Amino acid sequence: MGSIVSIRDVVKEYSLGKVVVPALRGVSLEVEKGEFISIAGPSGSGKTTMLNLIGCVDTATRGVVEVAGQDTGKLTERKLTALRLDTIGFIFQSFNLVSVLTVFQNVEFPLLLQRKLNGAQRKARVMQLLEQVGLATHAKHRPNELSGGQRQRVAVARALVTEPQIVLADEPTANLDSVTGQAIIDLMKSLNQQKGTTFIFSTHDYKVMQHANAVVRLADGKLQGRETGEAAVAAALKGMSVAPVAQAAP
Amino acid sequence: MLQLFQMGARSLWQHRTRTLLLGAAIAAVSALLIALTSLSTGMRTTMLVSATTLSTGHLNVAGFYKVTSGQSAPVVTDYRKLMDVVKDAVPEIDYLTERGRGWAKIISDTGSMQVGLAGVDISKEAGFKKVVTALSGNLDDLAKPGAIVIFEEQAKKLEVKVGDRLTISAATPRGTSNTIDVTVVAIGQNIGMMSNWNTFMNGTSLRELYQLNDDTAGAIHVYLKDINQVKTVQARLRKVLAEKGYGVMDDDPRAFWMKFQSVNREDWTGQKIDVTTWEDEISFVKWTVDGLTGLAVMVTIVLLVIIGVGIMNVMWITIRERTREIGTLRAIGMQRARVLGMFVIEGFLLGLAGTVSGTALGFAFSAALNAAHAKVPVAAQLFLMTDHLVMLPTVAWAVFAVLFITGVITAVSLVPSFLAARMKPITAMSHIG
Ligand SMILES: Nc1ncnc2c1ncn2[C@@H]1O[C@H](COP(=O)(O)OP(=O)(O)OP(=O)(O)O)[C@@H](O)[C@H]1O
Ligand SMILES: [Mg+2]
Repeated sequence: MGSIVSIRDVVKEYSLGKVVVPALRGVSLEVEKGEFISIAGPSGSGKTTMLNLIGCVDTATRGVVEVAGQDTGKLTERKLTALRLDTIGFIFQSFNLVSVLTVFQNVEFPLLLQRKLNGAQRKARVMQLLEQVGLATHAKHRPNELSGGQRQRVAVARALVTEPQIVLADEPTANLDSVTGQAIIDLMKSLNQQKGTTFIFSTHDYKVMQHANAVVRLADGKLQGRETGEAAVAAALKGMSVAPVAQAAP
Repeated sequence: MLQLFQMGARSLWQHRTRTLLLGAAIAAVSALLIALTSLSTGMRTTMLVSATTLSTGHLNVAGFYKVTSGQSAPVVTDYRKLMDVVKDAVPEIDYLTERGRGWAKIISDTGSMQVGLAGVDISKEAGFKKVVTALSGNLDDLAKPGAIVIFEEQAKKLEVKVGDRLTISAATPRGTSNTIDVTVVAIGQNIGMMSNWNTFMNGTSLRELYQLNDDTAGAIHVYLKDINQVKTVQARLRKVLAEKGYGVMDDDPRAFWMKFQSVNREDWTGQKIDVTTWEDEISFVKWTVDGLTGLAVMVTIVLLVIIGVGIMNVMWITIRERTREIGTLRAIGMQRARVLGMFVIEGFLLGLAGTVSGTALGFAFSAALNAAHAKVPVAAQLFLMTDHLVMLPTVAWAVFAVLFITGVITAVSLVPSFLAARMKPITAMSHIG
């Protein structure tokens, strides 16, 4: 079974004027198809940066990022965009909904871009997803009329609507109460089990980590290792492991 | 494609306040452009119609007759035959008339003045009554022998009214002096400077004054359906007349009354024919028309530039503001070309709606102004040869306004959206402001 995501010796540096800020300092990770994997780590450790690279919205300074068997560093902008549309669903940390579109239109947008479904099919698909994230009654609302948690759920629905092979989620439950958060996790988990969708998400939430078949830990731009979800949670509960919000291990 | 249209329209609708404001600005520019060009076209056309009806045709077939080589008269003999030749040679003719020409002293009980005389056969002057408005009397009475029509200003100077008699004194081609008594049958409303020195009298009486026979005319005024064809028709007429055995004078772009000296110096006798254009005969009108056109073009350009830059700025800011949106669209898989397409269509729809409504507004405004019969300032009347504003909106300008402004708006929306679409999605998404 081949890796659906393969990261090898990836370095990402941001340059702020003359200062170079290293966000990832040589990270390697293999993700198998159908995995439900969590990236843990304190704030500023590079979780978002890593997801951005896998999601093809940013490029690595050095190293190789392969997604669905393609070396993203060698793809044209056109192919990268197509990869983003057809293979990847991205739930951004700051949601990034299109403010002028309604909830329905936001979720429908990727389907419009794909041009695979007709109007009725799109409507059915969008409404089904909105139902699942509990926002069917808000289909005609604008993002600015929603709470943070509701916006997050719209972002989830938008990422899932095309039934992509890979779903990247940056803190998908951060703004949700435990009940709603659990519903979202259940939705993702069932997609993972029924359709074999690969999920890669960053989280601080143990309840989410519990469901992960693997947890990788980032600290200061470096991967600290890989463990099972249960092990990670158990370790955290014992206070032995490095809690995701605590400072990086030496 | 249809889908991009949908998205563009949707986006415009979502930003409807801004769309409305920008659309209104674009409509205002278009309306202004239409109003300005209508005014300029209207005034130019009025001027041309007035001037060419009063003292020259679009083309004049005239010339000089010399009894001796040193003495010339501005007449054509056997003009009926000449008219037939012209009619045959110029299918573009709208109508043509024959005019007598003279320059004489006109005397009333209390004063006198030097004026130009035009001898007309009123029954054949199709344009005359459209241009000249009788304040009193009846223009058709010019058919009566001894009838003269003068203008308001002249009547004031001479202190005469309809029914009063005037004496005209002129030098005949034979070198003697002759006088004739005439009756004022109508007083025309002033038509700018052309009414200062022009008068119209019965054609037969004019021949009497100058002791000319019935076959002699001053000039044949030729009116074309399209005034822009004068140059080609002029060249053709010269050729045809020469072929028919007429002596044709060399092309000399001056008014006939400026040519006496040079004609008198030339060594020939008998009849020679000259074919001139309205521009030759009344060059000051041409200058005014050109000046007016130039002014209108300049004002239009300045206006377009100023307002165009304004609209460009707003469009620019609008699209920059949407950099985050563009980043998001790119991040979820919208191709650059389609992002551009969406903004171009948005710009196009906005431009089209704005210019079409603006053009309609311009037409409505022009029609309203025409209906209102707005007065022109007296000083301007002198040049414009009309007392009220005439707006003449043209389809050509309407098409230009719609295409050009829509094109500019579309092009303007292309640049910032191109810049935004070129960014990395993550950079665009985290763009502030
Ligand atoms: N656009 C940027 N320009 C400069 N530095 C950046 C940029 N984005 C991130 N960084 C830096 O890269 C490092 C990693 O940031 P990243 O956003 O990946 O952290 P994170 O793990 O997602 O944190 P959080 O849990 O707070 O979301 C940080 O030190 C951050 O300051
Ligand atoms: Mg982050």
